[in-house]
Amino acid sequence: MKVRSVGVLGGGPWGLSLARAAARGPCETWLHSRRQQDAMVDGVRVTRSLAELARCRLLLVAVPSNLAREVARELGENLDGSHVVVHGIRGLSGPELSTISQIFREETPARRLGALGGPVQADELAEGRPSAMVVASEFGEVSAAVREALESERLQIHATRDLRGLEWASALVGCLSIGLGYAQARGDVSPGLLAALISRAVDEAASIAVAAGAEEKTFYGLGGYGDLLASMALEDRPEVLLGRELARGASLDEARAKATLRVEAIELVPRVAAFAGARGVRCDILCAIGAILDGSAAPDRVVRALFAR
Amino acid sequence: MLREAPIFQFNHERALLVAQTVDRVCAQTRDPLHALNDAAYWEIRRLESSRRKRDQEELAEWRGLARRLAKLSEFERRQHLRDLVTRYADDIAGNFDRRVFRASTRILPSLVTGLLSPGALPHHLRHPRELLSLDALADKVIIQGDTAGLARLAEKGTLIFVPTHSSNMDSIVFGFALERAGLPPATYGAGKNLFTNPLLSFFMHNLGAYKVDRRLRFDLYKDCLKAYSCVLLERGYHSLFFPGGTRSRSGAVEAKLKLGLAGTGVESYVRTLLAGTERRVYFVPATINYLITLEAETLIADYLSEAGKARYIIEDDESTRLGRVIAFVRKAFTMRGSVVIRFGDALDPFGNRVDAEGRSLDGRGRAIDTSSFVRDVAGEVVSNPDRDAQYTRELAQALVTAYRANTVVSSTNLVAAACFEHLRSLAPGADLFTVLRLRDQTIPRDDLARSVLAKRDALKALEARGEVVLSDQVRDTSGGDIVAQAMSAFFGFHTNPVIEAQEDGIALRDPKLLLYYQNRLIRHGLAFDPETRGRAGAAGGAT
Repeated sequence: MKVRSVGVLGGGPWGLSLARAAARGPCETWLHSRRQQDAMVDGVRVTRSLAELARCRLLLVAVPSNLAREVARELGENLDGSHVVVHGIRGLSGPELSTISQIFREETPARRLGALGGPVQADELAEGRPSAMVVASEFGEVSAAVREALESERLQIHATRDLRGLEWASALVGCLSIGLGYAQARGDVSPGLLAALISRAVDEAASIAVAAGAEEKTFYGLGGYGDLLASMALEDRPEVLLGRELARGASLDEARAKATLRVEAIELVPRVAAFAGARGVRCDILCAIGAILDGSAAPDRVVRALFAR
Repeated sequence: MLREAPIFQFNHERALLVAQTVDRVCAQTRDPLHALNDAAYWEIRRLESSRRKRDQEELAEWRGLARRLAKLSEFERRQHLRDLVTRYADDIAGNFDRRVFRASTRILPSLVTGLLSPGALPHHLRHPRELLSLDALADKVIIQGDTAGLARLAEKGTLIFVPTHSSNMDSIVFGFALERAGLPPATYGAGKNLFTNPLLSFFMHNLGAYKVDRRLRFDLYKDCLKAYSCVLLERGYHSLFFPGGTRSRSGAVEAKLKLGLAGTGVESYVRTLLAGTERRVYFVPATINYLITLEAETLIADYLSEAGKARYIIEDDESTRLGRVIAFVRKAFTMRGSVVIRFGDALDPFGNRVDAEGRSLDGRGRAIDTSSFVRDVAGEVVSNPDRDAQYTRELAQALVTAYRANTVVSSTNLVAAACFEHLRSLAPGADLFTVLRLRDQTIPRDDLARSVLAKRDALKALEARGEVVLSDQVRDTSGGDIVAQAMSAFFGFHTNPVIEAQEDGIALRDPKLLLYYQNRLIRHGLAFDPETRGRAGAAGGAT
């Protein structure tokens, strides 16, 4: 037994779910949260001190992507090269689309970095229902540590070396889920057509991410296709909800309110489209989603663009 | 300090180094049957194509061993393994002769200077002390970088110099540079084919080089090489690796590195930590920048030929021809800034920058405990080859960045880039080979000078951002003078003229060599990149 304790940073639904999953495992679990939490939740120790959290050498970070740099910088004051930092954040930062692990590399001394992704949902993780997730790291020992801490009979954890690929897949699936929700809500989109949209969307996302240095196959696995298929079945996924509301004629603000949680993909879609455009990679579906978000095209035209060959 | 460098103890320690290497390789070989079978397979394959009597005898030995292996006991297999590893380790281990070192670094350059620059002889006779120094080379071989800082680091840990590689002259030139910079001599792995080169073998044999037989491609031999390198590093032997693996064929600064030996940096560090004798390791990236390259013609031809990929070892290039070497040295000794060796900032084996005290720095410039990178989640220092391989890949990325930033651009690169751009403008959209067939085109002098100046100014902007370095001879020089410098450098060295002055301008005689010299600027986006645009433009593949 190598991993003795796990620290979770972030007291939102995803962070709490990770903490609960870890607490069911063999390791002592700590949670750092700025929100008011019960002192001991399901065997999870709560702290407001990053220094205390950093006593755990395996750290799982689950904060919104817009806070990633700030949190990384603060956390970086308390880490050294022996820490293993794994994030579960969907998003790409800034115009240069830095991955979250790049931010942790810049702001902390930690080098053994990883990311979580895949179709697992916060509620099924929290409740211990059977589910599957992906851990990615260029360091085999990072994936091994995560599996040691979290894996159980009810939680399968698949490992990949393609860290960049999983981070891009997680971020782009968030974007594509908006288009998926939009198409689902329209009465004129058959299941077959929806399947065609999903297949083409994954293909397009893979081409864009390959231009960023990711491996194509990651997008056809659990972290890409699998994640997007899960979105299709989820009524309450914020991105899907947002897309559905927009298809029903809601304004972006109204749709945001319905989604309840912050949809990070809204800001990401135009940045990824610009990235793809600059590299000569086709991104018709992403541009159509951009038109859905900024209302720059009539719905019928958007649908045509979504399914254009 | 320099005279205390471990390499001066080499001959005394040689047997011990070999024994440690053998013990380590034998201990780490878990399956001797597999290791011996693999070696036999590759050796039989290699030797079958040879008709030399010695190779035929060796082939018979290997075939015999391959037949017997399955029937041998574990003890007998281990014995065979030890015999083989001992043979390889003994072959790999080099030699260091203090007298040759002294002669080659102090007297020889001056004598060569005297012989090749007869005009300087009267001066040397009046000032004999200078004849015993390297001062005569001062304005020919230019050394840049924080050499004083590196000398201090050499006292705190083991230095691994990792320069770019474009010529068989590199190890000799770099050896002179270390001496001149007050840095300790370094041991290095040189291709065994160089030991058969009569011009280079004398130096190779006696300046601490160890032999790398690139024909032996099986894991057991590579394990011997890595173990030997690791043992040297653990004992504090400053080392020199060429991480490009072989000379750059295209002339471009390396963007992809071979990591085998570089990986021994982190391994040796971990081993010393585990033994309780922590010895820090510092990688020192450096660029070796020639105004003209001795083997440019062979290298670019090799790059352009389909067989280029297979010709990993070139045994018949310009470095084996005495006349060409003399012409090269003569040229080098008549041109200011013939060779610029630029040392970059040191890195730890994990790719982190280090400060003047040798401490590792994180991305925010804070000192961090280097040992923490090799501690596991329980806080223990552990050996972990998978982890260390990833650290080495990240180190390689940092080295590639350092190479780009420390590339020193000379007149030959600038003029070649401008000339090649002109050739491409004559055949818009054509593939690389069509452009290479455009011989004897002429460009008006003023047009060429303007184009050169535009490239130089673009590079100046990059230099201000720390992304490249301009040689002193071109930084504030007019376009016409830069063209004149390049013409003077090219004149009379290569078999065919590269460019020639004509009444109506400059004639572009050898597009292949222009490609070679312009390729140095590929990584900075200021020269045509045959790896990308060339391929896209040619259905048959431009490279």
